[in-house]
Parts: sequence; structure tokens; C-alpha cells
Amino acid sequence: MTTFVNRAPQDTRGSWKTYLGLVLILLFSAFPVYWMLVIATSTDAAVTQIPPSVIPGGELMNNLREVFTMNEVYFTASLINSFIVSSVITASTLFFCSLAGFAFAKLRFPARNALMFVVILTLTVPNQLGVVALYILMGKLGWNGTLLAVIAPGLVSAFGVFYMRQFIAHAVPDELVESARIDGAMTMRVYWSIVLPAIRPALAVLGLLTFVMAWNDFQWPLITLNGTEFPTSMVALSDLASGNYVIYRRVLAGAFVATVPLIVLLLVGGRQIVRGIMEGAVKS
Amino acid sequence: MSLTQLRPSPQHAAPPPKPNRAKLWLYRFDTKATPYIFIAPFFIIFTIFGLFPIIFNAIVSLRTWRLDDPDKDGWAGFDNFSKLLSDSDFWNALYNTIGIFILSTVPQLLLALILANLLNRKLSGQTFWRIGILLPYLTPVVASTLVFAVFFARDSGMANWFLSLVGYGQEQPLDWRADKWSSWIAIATMVNWKWIGYNALLYLSAMQAIPKDVYEAAAVDGAGPWRQLWRITVPMIQPVVVFTVILSTIGGLQLFNEPMMFDENPQSASGGSAHQFQTIAVMIYKVGWKDLNLGYAAAISWALFLLILIVAAINATLTKRIGGDR
Amino acid sequence: MKHLGKSGLAAAAAAALLLSGCSGQSLEGNNDKAAEGAVTLKIAFWGDMGLDKLKTQYEAAHPNVKIVLNSGEYNAQHEDLQKKLVAGSGAPDISAIDEGFIVQFRSQADKFVNFMDKGGADYEAKYLPWKWKQSLSSDGKQIGLGTDVGGLAMCYRSDLFQKAGLPTDREAVSKLWTNWDDFINVGKQYTAKTGKKFIDSGTNMFNPVLSQQAVGFYDESEKLQMEGGPKVAFDVSMKAVDAGISANLASFQPNWDQGFKKDQFAVLACPAWMLGHIQDTAPEQKGKWDIAAIPGGGGNWGGSWWTIPSQGKNVDAAADFVKWLVAPEQQIEVFKTVGNLPSQPALYKDAAVLDYKKEFMSNAPTGQIFAATAEQLKPQYLGKKNGPTRVAVENVITQVQQGKLKSANAWAEAVKQAEKASTS
Repeated sequence: MTTFVNRAPQDTRGSWKTYLGLVLILLFSAFPVYWMLVIATSTDAAVTQIPPSVIPGGELMNNLREVFTMNEVYFTASLINSFIVSSVITASTLFFCSLAGFAFAKLRFPARNALMFVVILTLTVPNQLGVVALYILMGKLGWNGTLLAVIAPGLVSAFGVFYMRQFIAHAVPDELVESARIDGAMTMRVYWSIVLPAIRPALAVLGLLTFVMAWNDFQWPLITLNGTEFPTSMVALSDLASGNYVIYRRVLAGAFVATVPLIVLLLVGGRQIVRGIMEGAVKS
Repeated sequence: MSLTQLRPSPQHAAPPPKPNRAKLWLYRFDTKATPYIFIAPFFIIFTIFGLFPIIFNAIVSLRTWRLDDPDKDGWAGFDNFSKLLSDSDFWNALYNTIGIFILSTVPQLLLALILANLLNRKLSGQTFWRIGILLPYLTPVVASTLVFAVFFARDSGMANWFLSLVGYGQEQPLDWRADKWSSWIAIATMVNWKWIGYNALLYLSAMQAIPKDVYEAAAVDGAGPWRQLWRITVPMIQPVVVFTVILSTIGGLQLFNEPMMFDENPQSASGGSAHQFQTIAVMIYKVGWKDLNLGYAAAISWALFLLILIVAAINATLTKRIGGDR
Repeated sequence: MKHLGKSGLAAAAAAALLLSGCSGQSLEGNNDKAAEGAVTLKIAFWGDMGLDKLKTQYEAAHPNVKIVLNSGEYNAQHEDLQKKLVAGSGAPDISAIDEGFIVQFRSQADKFVNFMDKGGADYEAKYLPWKWKQSLSSDGKQIGLGTDVGGLAMCYRSDLFQKAGLPTDREAVSKLWTNWDDFINVGKQYTAKTGKKFIDSGTNMFNPVLSQQAVGFYDESEKLQMEGGPKVAFDVSMKAVDAGISANLASFQPNWDQGFKKDQFAVLACPAWMLGHIQDTAPEQKGKWDIAAIPGGGGNWGGSWWTIPSQGKNVDAAADFVKWLVAPEQQIEVFKTVGNLPSQPALYKDAAVLDYKKEFMSNAPTGQIFAATAEQLKPQYLGKKNGPTRVAVENVITQVQQGKLKSANAWAEAVKQAEKASTS
């Protein structure tokens, strides 16, 4: 026994039990997504069959055609809208949060620490507290029912500022900034030529996480966009699931399409996302 | 573009060029104002769309503010709050929220710990496992809840098929949405599914930061792997555990997507025929945008905020104490 | 602080730039300004109102008009319209309003185009008098032009009836049930014989029976009247649930739609507009459905108006389109495609309606059947809070079906929930 444990766990080789546990959890994690695909490719009969069928059918194209041609649900438009919303929010969050993160990490100015404290405080404020008033505000601005109402509150994030500050503090040496300043470079120039290139990995991480969050956001888009012809894909999905002809294979074909972009992100940027989550943990 | 261009070249650094007035002014402006310009976008946007609504929400909650009858307008004092206290729907939603929260948070964090412990080994395909368990975190809740809705369907749902294999519900299949306990379990399953992998990664990262000699020292006691986890690892990562507890408290008490989309009619926001799984967040949506009573919805938002503060504080203390005992 | 002001300005400018950069058509929405004088009409409704083909037809005849259809969930569409009327913007150019919500909206007649100003007076004589009055405000403004009425009949699966040894012929089936007690007894026979459920859900008993009562949830002074009509309808639905003939499926939801396909019920109370739903949900059941008389006789469930919120930018174009929609040719077209029965009695005499046989419904003469019911109707007053009240009582029925509530205690709960909804 003792010989077995005098190593730290991370130096211990995984036993077959470890792998068995991991495989089980992985199956549990992947099953709903897989089953989404199964139903999305099935006929009506296959959906309600007992015992359930677990092999994809050949009806995907047919079901997709139904989803995309339901002209009351605006599914195609909703995917485009989701891309617009998520991209703008991601680009803006990366830009503004890295600017602010740089200022907090490397520039000296009065009230810096107090202001950073405010940022950290806002991290914990539950966003639902303000939805009623946000709706009224957007009404006054005339933005309810437009994508602006969804984009505007997402343009910056306290987490983004915090994350960027932490990363820049470590990743950009003070001397590099100092020497550039001595050379007469303006702060903006330092940001653009020194900071940005140095924080590319962090930008990738924050960008991926922000995109995922914006894409999956549901409550606020539902409040402001429901009933318009400019839904995001999540709002369109809820519409698809509660219109008058709710057919599971069709609903889940839609759900699958709205999930595919994120699966692609996971395949392409999985490493970065994992790293981002793990780094976030250590630093907070 | 390249960094070398910016490095002070010796010729330049030595004799400072004649300070030209405009340039000097620009330089001073740059050092004094630029930091504020850099942080301003965050604070301005946050103030308008984050902070202001919260303050304004307090005003709305003290007014009669209806979307179906704008003429009924004016100060309501604490009417909305006194209505809240006597509204059985609110207490029911509070009960549901806390019930689902407990059912989803406790297993979620325990399983995440165990999963993190499994991942905290020398593994082949390390990255593969880590990415794999993140699939639920990326999947849109709206989409996954729709799958679970099919899974938990009364007639020919897969969950009931499993139950029938062990001889349950062959006469009368279980209607998962019908009762509190069953609908809570269904919803908690969805929440657990989504967040186990994410939390496991948080724990894993903290576990890997534990110095190895801590384990080596403890080996003298002859602690087995299981005891090792509970006696050494968990206390060492306690700050992260507290962090995840607070995080899932904030998230769990605001639960909206799952109970909303699990409803037989996802647009009804009723949380079942007798509101058996209507959470506070769903109730806010129902009151605000279906009953069109924004003033009252604002008051419920405050109650939710208060609830989050209280539960987060209790949880943080509890978690710390449990950790500290070991 | 002066600097902060400046930087604030800069950031605001940057934000504005960013926003305007992406505030193209897809963001701002409304109008397609590509073609000079082009008009986009957005039409909101629920279910299938038979507009797909008419949209193409109208667009072809009016190249400057583009029509956008927006079909959503029934309650949500009405709530959404209400929000946007109050907000003063965002409402569709044309919105369907159902009978269940019309009183609520006609009391806000100033937010709608008054059809009296658009030559609507000519239309009065064309409509069933009660249909015309239902959308007329107390000060004589006409907020909408009627589309359909929901005269009631009972749809049944002749193939399943045959298997259960029941008659399959329309006349014979109608004779099986002159009142609701008979109907429930037939259901018991069916269930005993086949082991399958007879009706889809208690709520689909409650709604038609309620519509046959003289007074519904509210009387004309807007007072909640639970002990009258609602009690009768509730008791009938409880009786059906207790008899074990209900499949207990929530209507218009996925499991209900699946229930169609899996033959989980054999009858369905059908207002004319339900035909379209059956046919869209289970197209493969063509020829297996037929239509008999409804027990208790008569009754109206649903039926809508086309209204034009006055906040719209193209109210004239919208009015033209609505007038075109309610013209006889189009009403007949809608009747044929989805089954909705027009609310203009002249059409009931039109050969196109009178001689029409619905192939999907085993060639039932739907025109004759529904026209006969529509003309005898005595309409019910539906209060401002009719919509939410109905949802609340339906939820109580669902609770009984889920076994959460004993039918003996259900009425008290229904009254409680209805009172709550009436003051929400």
C-alpha cells in the first residue's frame, strides 16, 4: 500500500479502473449530443420506438430541409444573427478588455487599485438582477427587438478585464514596456506592437469562451427578441419547440445545427478552452 | 511591427531631440489620460448596461409598471414587496429553486472532484479526455434540454424505458414533469450533466498545483488513494472548492434555461401544471413578460438577489468550516 | 476628471462606430429600402392560417410589397403584441388576434387602425353580426376584419372506430352522442374494447363545452363567473378524466403531436381551424379522419381577426392587404387549404364552400357541416383576462390528469387559480 501512494497522484499511472471511470463519464457527456444527432436523422416512427433506436437514420437532409424552409421560424436568419452577435461581442470584448487589462496591469494612474477592485466586485453581480430595467432601458433606446439590444450589454465583460490583467501582468515584461516608452512610443503604440502580440494565447482563450457564452445566451435574447423576425438561434430553437407543429425530429435537427458550430470550436480550439478554464481557476 | 524597431537604438537614446511643444504636450497627455481612455470603454458600457439597470431596477420595483396598461402608473411604495410576501407562487418558486439547486450542486461538485481525481494521473490521451468532458459545457443548454425533454418523455421516453427494464412503471409510465421530485431530478440531471466537466477542470488545475512533497510526507501514514483524495487533496484545494461553490450558487439560483425549456410548452414559463418546477428566474420571466407586470418582476429580482447573497455566504462559511476541520 | 470626460467621449464614439458598423438591415430590421417605394409587411399569427400560397400570390401581383410571415406560440403572440402596443414600436404591421383575446385589445382601440376610416363600414353587412361586433370598441371603432369562426364539430378516426366495433358513418356516429354523457359512455365502450384511450385530453373537452355555454368565464361587466358555464364544462371534463378515457396529452405540444401518429386517441373536438392542424401534423392519416356533430350542439371555439397596429409605417399598404385577404376568393382559398371557416355568411351559400369535400377528412362536406353550425351561433362574451384565465384552468385539469389532484378537490383549485389569473 505504502509503496503505491508515496507518489503524488499526478505521477501515478492511471489504472484500468481510472480509464473505465473516464470512459463512463465520457459516454455520459457525449450521449445527449449523440442522441440529438440520432433523432435529427430519424423518422417520426423511429423517435418513439421502443426500445429506442441508437443508430442514426438517413433522414437528416429531409429534417433539415423542413427546419430551414419553415419560413415562420427564420432559422437561417437566426444562425446568421447568432454569428453576427457572437462575433461582434467577441471582437469587442477582446479589444476593450485587453485595453483595460493592459492599463490595469502596466500603467500607473491614480485610483488604479480602487477601480480594479470595482471590476472584481462586478464579477459577482448576478446579471438577472437587472433584466427588467434593462428591458425598459432598451425600450427607451428603441433597441428592443433588434440585435443591438443583445450585443450592447455583451460588449465588455468584467471577467475579460480581470483575465487580461492577470495574463498581461505575467506575460509582458515591464522592461519591454519601459524601453518602448523611452523610445517615445505612445501608449497606444505599445499596446498594439508589444502587448497584443504577446497575449495572443490569452486572446484565443478569452475569444473562444466569450463566443461560446454569447452563442448560448438565451434568457435576455428571449426577452428582447422573442416574436421578432430577428431571433438568435437559441430563440429560434425555443420557437421551433413551441410553435404549433412541434415534431421532435425537426426540433432536434434544429438543435443539432445550432450545436455544430460549437462542436467545431471544441475540435479546433479545445486545447485553448481547456487551458483557459484551468488558468482561470488558478488565478482566481 | 516588430519589437526590434521599438527597442531604443543607441543613437536615438543618447541625445534627446529638441522637445517640441506639441510633442511634449502629447506626451504628457498620453501618460496622464491614456490609462483612463483605455479603461473607459469598459466602465462606460458597464455603467450603462450593467450598473444602471440594477439601480433603476430598484425604482421600478417601487412603482406600478405594467406593459398591458401603461395608464396604471405611479409610485406603489412597498406594494410589490408586500404582494411578494403573500404570493404562494413566489414561495413555491423559492422552494423549487432551492430544491433543484441542492439536487444539482451537491452531486455536481462531488462528481467533479472524483472526475478531477481520475484525470489527475499519468494518462495517455490526456488532452483528449480533458476536451471530451467539456462537450456538455459547450453544448447550448437550449439544445441539450430539448434532448433531455425527449429522454424524459412520459410515453416512449428513454428514461421510462430504462425504468421499465427494471420493472417500474409498466402499468402507468412515470410522468416526469408531473411531480416535484421527478421534475427536479430531471432538471438536476441536466444541470449536473452540463457542469461536471467544467468544475472537474477547475479542480484538476488546483490539484496539479499541490506540491508533490505533501503527498510524499503523507505516505508515511499509509493513506490509500481514496483517503489521499479526501485527507490531502481536497483540503489543499479548498479555495477552489469555495470558489466553485460560490460560482454554482450564483448560477444555480438563477436557473432559467432548463426549467423553461423542459416545460411541455416552452413558451408558457409556468414550470409545469402546478408550477412544480418553476424557479424564481422563470417566475420573473412569467410575471414580467407574460403577465406584463414589470414592477412586480423587479421586486422578485431583488428577492432573488437577496437569496443569492444569503446562500453564497452560508455556503462559503460551511465549505470553509468543513475544509478547516480536516 | 476632465480627462475622463474626454476619454468617455472617445469611447462612446468608438462604441457608436462599432455599433453603426454592424447596424445594417439585419440589425435595424424593418424596412427593405432596396427598391424605391418598396413596402415590407410583417404579419404575426400562430399555427397555420393558410397564408403561404396567398403570400406568393400577393407578392407576384404587387412587386413592391414583400410579406414576412411570423407564426409563433398562441399565447406568446398575443402577449407580445400587447408589449409592443405599449412600447409604441416593434409591433407587426398586421397581427392576428384570436377571439379569446379580442376584448382585451378592442379596449385599446386607439392603438389600432380603425377600419371605419378605411372604408370598413361597407364590410359590416358582409359579416356575421356577432363577429363584426366582437372586434368593435365601445366607441364604435372597428379594430379588425374577421377571418374565420370556430364552429364546432367532432372529428373522429373512422378506422379506429371500425376496429372498436363502432359505427363509422357520419350520421350514425353523430347519433351516438346527442349529449356529453353519451359521448363519455361511447368513450368507455371504446376504451373497454380496445384498451386505448378515446379523447386526447380533458382540456379539449373543457374548451368546447365551455364555448357552448351562454356565459363563459366573464360576464359583460367583466366579473369572473366561475359557478356558471365554467363549472358545467369543468364537471364534464372531470367526468371524462375519471372515466379513464383520456390520453392526458397536453394539446398543441410535442407529445400530443406524437399521440396523433401513435393512434393514442380516436376523437378530437374540432373547430374548423383544427382541420389544418390535424392535416399538418399527421399527413399520413389522410382518409382516416371523418367529421360528426358535436355533442350538445353548436358552440364556437376560436376564430380570429386581422388587425393593424397604428404604430406601423405602412398602415395603408397593410389595410389593402387585409382587405384582399378577407375578400371571398382568398377566404375560400384558406378554407380549402387549412379548413378555416370564413365569417362572412354569403360564402356559406357559395358553391365553392357548400359543395366542397375535404379529401383528407374522408371527403366530408366540411363547408356544409361548419356553415350550419356557424349560423346558429350565440356568441359568448370573453373577458379581458379570458386568455390567462383559460390557461390557469387548463393547468388545473392537467394536474388532475397527472394524478396530482383528486377530481373532487379540483374545482376549488380551479376557482382559486382563475381568480388569481383574473387579477394578475
